[in-house]
Amino acid sequence: MRRLGRLFDTTVYITGIMVSVAVLVMFYYIARESTYAFRQTFSWGYRLALLPGDADSSATPNSAPYSSLVAVNPEGADGLDEKEEVFPAPTIQQMQDESALVATATPLASDLSQIRADTLYRDDWRSPKPAEEGTRVLVLGYAAPGYSLPTMYLAWEPDHSFEPRLASYRLVLRLLRAPEGVSIQPFEIDLRKQPTGRIALPTWVAQTDAERTQGYVFEVAAIPQTSTFWATLRGVLGTEWAPTLIYPRYGILPLVLATTLMSILAMLIATPLGVATALYLSEVAHPRVREWLKPALELIASVPSVVLGYFGLMFVAPALQAWLGQALGMQSGRNLLTTSIILAVLAIPIVASVTEDVLKAVPESLRESAIALGLNHSETLWKVVLPAARAGVVAAVLIGAARVYGETMIVWILSGGTATMPAFHSPVAFAQSLVSSTRGVPDTIAIEMGNVTFESVHYGHLFLLGLVLFCLTVVVNLAALRIGRRQVWRV
Amino acid sequence: MVEPPNALRAEQIVVETHALTVFYGDTQALKNVSLPIARNRVTALIGPSGCGKSTFLRCLNRLNDRIPGFRMQGKVRVLEMDPYSKHTDLIELRRRVGMVFQKPTPLPMSIYDNVAIGARSHYGLRGKQLDEVVEQALQRAALWDEVKDILKRPALQLSGGQQQRLCIARMLAVEPEVILMDEPCSALDPVSTFRIEELMIDLAKDHTVIVVTHNMQQAARVSHYTAFFMYGELVEYDVSKQLFLSPKQKATEDYISGRFG
Repeated sequence: MRRLGRLFDTTVYITGIMVSVAVLVMFYYIARESTYAFRQTFSWGYRLALLPGDADSSATPNSAPYSSLVAVNPEGADGLDEKEEVFPAPTIQQMQDESALVATATPLASDLSQIRADTLYRDDWRSPKPAEEGTRVLVLGYAAPGYSLPTMYLAWEPDHSFEPRLASYRLVLRLLRAPEGVSIQPFEIDLRKQPTGRIALPTWVAQTDAERTQGYVFEVAAIPQTSTFWATLRGVLGTEWAPTLIYPRYGILPLVLATTLMSILAMLIATPLGVATALYLSEVAHPRVREWLKPALELIASVPSVVLGYFGLMFVAPALQAWLGQALGMQSGRNLLTTSIILAVLAIPIVASVTEDVLKAVPESLRESAIALGLNHSETLWKVVLPAARAGVVAAVLIGAARVYGETMIVWILSGGTATMPAFHSPVAFAQSLVSSTRGVPDTIAIEMGNVTFESVHYGHLFLLGLVLFCLTVVVNLAALRIGRRQVWRV
Repeated sequence: MVEPPNALRAEQIVVETHALTVFYGDTQALKNVSLPIARNRVTALIGPSGCGKSTFLRCLNRLNDRIPGFRMQGKVRVLEMDPYSKHTDLIELRRRVGMVFQKPTPLPMSIYDNVAIGARSHYGLRGKQLDEVVEQALQRAALWDEVKDILKRPALQLSGGQQQRLCIARMLAVEPEVILMDEPCSALDPVSTFRIEELMIDLAKDHTVIVVTHNMQQAARVSHYTAFFMYGELVEYDVSKQLFLSPKQKATEDYISGRFG
């Protein structure tokens, strides 16, 4: 018998160790995979063009091959990594027919004497760099013989989805060299402060092919500001989650905030209802009612969340849209509010069930004292029983919150799927973001993990999201445990 | 001047049961108990465990209702009220009949609120008036000097004896006329016990005190009357001196001389 006891003790001991190790391994795995997020290289893209002097002011660089330059270093843009688009630069003859002005880029050139006019690197796909390195692109600009106006303009704008203010570099556009005999002040423009713009230049006309190399030489330089690690971290704390853009953004704030907001909202709904249910079950209901209501409650707690999500999609979302859609200006029934309501449905049985256990643990002697003192039923409940169970009730709510916080399926089905920052600047805007489409952390992982390149930066960021979620739920759970431990009410 | 129980005049009787019988499910806890209790006296209920003393006590303020399977027969009269009548205001009954339990049961709130909660609930007192009531109750319970500077602290931080006196103060704050004590000293050390006994004697000046105790010395020390219960029956009821010095029943004698129990 004693040997059996020893065996039992050992089993319990080993199980405990195994569970702890499993949790640690899981944590290690998620943490290790999320390091891929920090292997990111940073790309940037700018479009530069020479525009004729009489062009109306709204003219911007266009993508015609001879007239503008795009220098981009997008990373991981499926299969294009090795590609470098090289155009033969037009000869003077060709230019007279087609275009009056040319800007040509030579990203490989490191010094001015190597600038070549005969090749135009329109795109440079191949050299995204870690944030520590930075790049430099030299641009040669000149006008063709047919051009007769006294000035021409250098115009610049960021490429497609590139946002200079998010760059981990300081981006500078400067004039390195003006052609002989042209008098112009040297300039240097901070592209983060002035992402688009134009500047007037005295015209330099290249009459011969040889004269082309004497044109204006501009430089776009990406000057490192920080390390890749910090740049990635800064990116993670950004307000935009858009991993599929050419210049991807991995800001997790909108996701974390959305998840937090919907959890808070869900718990605001679930706490009073759950606690009231528990109070009813434990203090009011006839034992016979309790006998079947408590298991029924626990049964609801075990409904798969996908079923709840489906229920929300088929009934709650359309009902909410039909009822409040107009008044609140809702685009669709799938939004943060609907999600919170269904999450609350998920949380109520958990809160109620745990709270009921907690209330049951409040010693009968405390209730008797209150009754013997002549307090009525509601005073006994609100002033004695509930305060005695306070810590446990808080723990119950936190357990429900941790469950809701990590909930994936319901959020996936009902949130609408748009990662947007909730607006905090005014109550109306905030209310508006509560009824608009959103997206949380767990569902983002679930949605995107399926079609992400293995061990890519995006992949790493999904694990980073998982890590954040893991930490947050652990914190909530630990808080629940800690507060719950205070519960034990000794009399 | 303590008259024997059978010589009590009607106006002296505050609490009275007549042929009180109580069942918990199939178990009979009280058998045909008829017991008149005198005003402003300490009446001790003694007897071995499970003899029905506590059940008797809890019939007087209807604290038995919550126990599953409770049934009673017979008559109970407390302060001209019948606790088991449908028309009785139980809140009023429990205001006039206070109770102290075996284990101290401070409520989960501050010392002040523990004492104030009853007065607030019954008399709607606020502010200064409430402060006065709290102070008086605590002084009466001989606790004021110890807690006057820590009234806002949680009551659970007090020691066991202090907690029990706090429970007494809490009960006194609602100004009951009858005080039921269910083994109030059994969880306390001798010093605390002594203070509570003093308190009982003091309270009996203007309250009717009914105390259940296992401690026969205590019963002899503080009570005017003693009732001896056994197996749910009232075996003997007499003036305490009489009962402890010359018990009429064999069972009583055996019990008080420590032959069993």
